[in-house]
Amino acid sequence: MSENRNTLSKQFLQFLPDNAVLTHNEDLHPYECDGLSAYRQVPLVVVIPETIEHIVRIVNICRKTNTPIVCRGAGTSVSGGALPLENGVLLSLAKFNRILNIDPVNRLACVQPGVRNLAISQATQSYGLYYAPDPSSQIACSIGGNVAENAGGVHCLKYGLTVHNILQLKIVTIEGELLTLGGSGLDGPGYDLLALLTGSEGMLGIIVEIVVKLLPVPECASVVLAAFDEIEHAGNAVTEIIASGIIPAGLEMMDRHATRAAEEYVHAGYPDNAAAILLCELDGIKEEVSAQISQVKDILLKHRAVQTRIAKDEVERQLLWAGRKGAFPAVVRLAPDYYCMDGTIPRRKLAFVLNRISELSEEYQLAIANVFHAGDGNLHPLILYDANKPGELHRSEELGGKILELCLEVGGTITGEHGVGVEKLNQMCVQFDTLELSQFHAIKHAFDPDELLNPGKAVPSLHRCAELGAMHVHEGKLPFPDIERF
Amino acid sequence: MNPIINNDDTVQLQELTQNAYAKKIPLRIFGSDTKSFYGNKIQGHPLCLVNHVGIVDYEPAELVLTARAGTKLREIEALLHSAGQMLAFEPPYFGEEATWGGTVACGFSGPRRPYAGALRDSILGVRMINGKGEQLRFGGKVIKNVAGYDASRLMAGALGTLGILLDISVKVIPRPQLEMTLVLEQTPEEAITYMNTLAGGPVPLSAAAYVDGQVLIRLSGTQAAVQAAAVKISGQEHEPSSSFWQQLKEHSHPFFSTETPLWRLSLLPGSPMLKIPGDWMLDWGGAQRWLKTNEPANLIRDAVQAAGGHATLFRQGELKDQQMKDGENTPVFHPLSKPLASVHEKLKTAFDPEYILNRNQLYT
Amino acid sequence: MQTSIDKLIKLTQPGQEADAILRKCVHCGFCNATCPTYQLLGDELDGPRGRIYLIKQALEGNAVTRKTQTHLDRCLNCLACETTCPSGVEYHRLLDIGRNWVDQHVQRSAYDNVRRKLLRGILPYKRRFHFLLSLGQMMSFILPDAVKRAIPARQIRSPWPDKQHQRKMLVLDGCVQPSLAPNINTATARVLAALGISLVKADKAGCCGAVSWHLSAPEEARVFMRQNIDAWWPFIEAGIEAIVMTASGCGSVVKEYGAYLADDKNYAQKARRVSELTKDISEILVNEDLSFFNNTIKNIGKPQRVAFHAPCTLQHGQKITGVVETILQQAGYELTHVPDAHLCCGSAGTYSILQKDLSQQLLINKLKSLENDHPDVIVTMNIGCLNHLASGANTKVLHVVELLEKGLRQGKSLN
Ligand SMILES: Cc1cc2nc3c(=O)[nH]c(=O)nc-3n(C[C@H](O)[C@H](O)[C@H](O)COP(=O)(O)OP(=O)(O)OC[C@H]3O[C@@H](n4cnc5c(N)ncnc54)[C@H](O)[C@@H]3O)c2cc1C
Ligand code: SF4
Ligand code: SF4
Repeated sequence: MSENRNTLSKQFLQFLPDNAVLTHNEDLHPYECDGLSAYRQVPLVVVIPETIEHIVRIVNICRKTNTPIVCRGAGTSVSGGALPLENGVLLSLAKFNRILNIDPVNRLACVQPGVRNLAISQATQSYGLYYAPDPSSQIACSIGGNVAENAGGVHCLKYGLTVHNILQLKIVTIEGELLTLGGSGLDGPGYDLLALLTGSEGMLGIIVEIVVKLLPVPECASVVLAAFDEIEHAGNAVTEIIASGIIPAGLEMMDRHATRAAEEYVHAGYPDNAAAILLCELDGIKEEVSAQISQVKDILLKHRAVQTRIAKDEVERQLLWAGRKGAFPAVVRLAPDYYCMDGTIPRRKLAFVLNRISELSEEYQLAIANVFHAGDGNLHPLILYDANKPGELHRSEELGGKILELCLEVGGTITGEHGVGVEKLNQMCVQFDTLELSQFHAIKHAFDPDELLNPGKAVPSLHRCAELGAMHVHEGKLPFPDIERF
Repeated sequence: MNPIINNDDTVQLQELTQNAYAKKIPLRIFGSDTKSFYGNKIQGHPLCLVNHVGIVDYEPAELVLTARAGTKLREIEALLHSAGQMLAFEPPYFGEEATWGGTVACGFSGPRRPYAGALRDSILGVRMINGKGEQLRFGGKVIKNVAGYDASRLMAGALGTLGILLDISVKVIPRPQLEMTLVLEQTPEEAITYMNTLAGGPVPLSAAAYVDGQVLIRLSGTQAAVQAAAVKISGQEHEPSSSFWQQLKEHSHPFFSTETPLWRLSLLPGSPMLKIPGDWMLDWGGAQRWLKTNEPANLIRDAVQAAGGHATLFRQGELKDQQMKDGENTPVFHPLSKPLASVHEKLKTAFDPEYILNRNQLYT
Repeated sequence: MQTSIDKLIKLTQPGQEADAILRKCVHCGFCNATCPTYQLLGDELDGPRGRIYLIKQALEGNAVTRKTQTHLDRCLNCLACETTCPSGVEYHRLLDIGRNWVDQHVQRSAYDNVRRKLLRGILPYKRRFHFLLSLGQMMSFILPDAVKRAIPARQIRSPWPDKQHQRKMLVLDGCVQPSLAPNINTATARVLAALGISLVKADKAGCCGAVSWHLSAPEEARVFMRQNIDAWWPFIEAGIEAIVMTASGCGSVVKEYGAYLADDKNYAQKARRVSELTKDISEILVNEDLSFFNNTIKNIGKPQRVAFHAPCTLQHGQKITGVVETILQQAGYELTHVPDAHLCCGSAGTYSILQKDLSQQLLINKLKSLENDHPDVIVTMNIGCLNHLASGANTKVLHVVELLEKGLRQGKSLN
């Protein structure tokens, strides 16, 4: 293997400087994991190219030597999407961090994939424009990674996911060809490859340039915080807000654990004894927002909110969101490690699923903090554990698996925005049957016949599913419908 | 509540397809044939979806609707309407009998598209049959789902060439309290600037078009929002608000009553007017432009491509007869670059190895 | 994050502390987003998350080489990462432990050693530094341009106010500051005098210990710390109100005396007391009535437009944010918009000498954002930043108290 490493790096060094080709163990270790540090693998080589030309040459070398490539943006994936391969090249896009062009008239920006999500909105702010999808990791995650995962955010209930907010992609294929997908207008000719590439977890092509759509900054945004004594009440309030015809810009829920941790981080004055809090943001024209905010407040009170509070200014609004966005990492204030789930369910099943989760939590003797995009039904149960205690990670994974299967049972999905990566491969065998998985593999082969781009991620091999003997659940129909569950 | 007939025709459709696959018989998939004018003309054994009908799932509070492909679009819209909701993409029908499957396969979106998203943006999941006769389900019925490749959105606008759509789930949105249309006399250049300036500001815009020296702006939202915005922007109120947009969407506006070939140009919304002789109508705030012209395809396509866009020969009109005579065919869709065409071919093969599904309808 | 710290290391106090800190890091990568060196270099190893990982590797008993050392050396110790971290990872403590460990195990080049020893042998000593600086100032005509820019012009000392007030505070007279900018402390004394507070100096006090501490010579640093404590103690017993820091770099260290000397039986308690009494000058001023300054400014006419550079040691080290801005606004100045205000200017103590290239790049970026909105003057709160900025700025750079004192003088002459 070290021979492989040497021959490869020699070829890379022909066009890359020394510090852009890492081959020593000491340098490689910090690249062994992304935001899911429970999964680790030291790559063969790390390359840090700076131009598209570099990437094309790297791809050509890898194709000829049959070396797999794993792309890495900011390494914040929480599904192990950027986990390196032992015999593979880890291709970092961190140096592609320039905003190439901002076009205020057409309301778009052309950016390199390594640009941080938040940096786009900061750069376009002076034009009164912003990039809508705002994953909680937006301070750090790259737009390339967002496209690869089809990232969502707290505001995607109203403004959509990444796929709804990009106009064009340039990708380098495994053939070393530069393709432009989408159009400069609102669509491109032929199949909607832009949509197909979005969320493809780096398995179909390397994203090297992105044209994102920019939206006008709303004239007014206002957030209400509501505290509830019972999660169920909060869940009902969510359902009624949506049913009443209001689409909030964001509608988020945190349970007691998560609220406590977030409070310690930002000191936003979240109520500390509530079973759940809701954050509901409304934005738009002033007149509209003020009308809707009182409507929402009524609904919240009707569903027995014990406290409601409207952020008095922009500073407080930002603070309330900062706590929500930092909630994942902040939970380590409660336990040293967390394992984040990402299932999505029909909203009406919220209360049922949350109750089941808390039962599972007891069964597995692992605490769970819940932070989630309530408006979208996208749950993020954070399983709290201690990685230094033998067996705890394994137990968390098992519990996590159970939670995802629960999401499938009620007609949901195993991942709403974090992607499958390496972590949810087993649950993919439950969500999709053999024919569907084969179709995915066929799509993969249309782009990458030799499976060199991020192989082994996102779509499990049929072999793996067979070994697992997993039961495939369709449409919430259970494998054993006679067992009492509800 | 649900007067729509229910019939699941999956088994028959699947058998038919499997048989066609085994015997390599090309199929022509269709619903009510309201949009048969669109795309390259094809031959094939007819595979009709109109008996695969019904609403599979609709719970207004979830904002999700699932319906079978043969269901009439008007029935779906009426159902949504009764619950105070609607499809975000305002689909054109091009005929009373338009079906749900055909709507999705064509991927058309109406005037609301730039502000509320395209048809493909609303898609959450599909159940379909691929070219091998396998029944597959992609996406789902929840708002967010990134498990597996996004094969369901890929079906939007694929004209049935990748699969026979059985059921399609979409996200729906609440119907706005109020809509209002304002008209203003402008030159096309002024209109382009105007429409894009409005779109860049905090205005509840839901459509912007230009035709015959007039720019039309539609506002939608809560009563408060629309009224507040209407005061800020100039223009004469156009009543009833819906009539113009209905005509634009359905191509029943006088602009479209012609035998001249009709081109659909997809461009940057702020692109200046292209110097191609003909009659123009601008929709989508300038991002979708209709052009009636007899100019040759090459000239049009070169000009559009130079501006970064693409051109579709939407309705062939007289051109069809002309070509029939000349024995040559103007491709309907914008030619693809070589590597892109190769990806298309491989993808088609991945879903339909024997090329039995609407062969050649999109690209030949 | 999972750890498996080497058994022997884990027996030591720093080993345990490091483990606890590492366990808190969840590897989310948020911190990379605000790290100046990661932004410039784009290598995980040059960001906090990577550095944490490198330290983890080292403490887990893996061999370390010059490579790890280089990446740790490149850290500015600006602590932007700490401000960003949602998990509350105390990076600066981990870095101290990591650097010490690595420096014990990796030989530096002879050249590097000499440079670091020289810095430790000169900067903390008032007289030695003063001598060399005067020499430089005298000889500036023969020095290359780059060096010349870095040497500030000689300042004329203005007199220390002699009126005695009831309220008394002690000032740290520092090591390099009295030579580079003698006016800062004098200005502080005059501004405080105007507010009815006498500022006193303890002659025997000297360098706060920061230089040695950050160059991995903790014991040497502790010697300085004890010296200062001894020098200050009589004043503390006499009831001074606070120990005022006019250089936020020193302040961030003196506030940690309690932690750094926690294991020293003789000094632990005194050190804690010193840390408690230590206040950045901004923490003092923000609680005083500044309307006098405001009126002066009003009388002069158009408010001056001021760009504020928040030193890392102030905003990230001491977590003092928005305070100086409040002071400036209360005193009647108009603040200009400064993008990326969280980023380091590249001065970072001895960094500007040891990591020249990175430091210069950061300086260029910082000046661009400070001068972006065309201020009349740039102000800051730390001598290191002040000099570094002044070496390249087209705008005058002052310490905040210097600006206030100027207003004071103008006000007096107006009356
Ligand atoms: C605390 C925390 C909160 C989070 N909150 C959210 C949230 O609210 N919503 C959400 O959606 N996600 C969230 N995430 C997950 C993560 O931030 C997103 O998935 C993000 O999009 C990953 O971006 P990245 O740049 O870090 O990509 P990486 O982690 O580096 O990579 C992710 C995947 O994308 C691929 N990839 C990266 N760049 C490219 C490229 N240029 N071309 C091709 N493939 C590429 C990689 O191979 C990998 O498969 C969160 C993560 C953390 C740690
Ligand atoms: S202290 Fe500053 S330079 Fe060092 S890792 Fe943290 S942010 Fe980066
Ligand atoms: S932000 Fe904090 S928890 Fe996250 S990687 Fe950095 S130090 Fe670790």
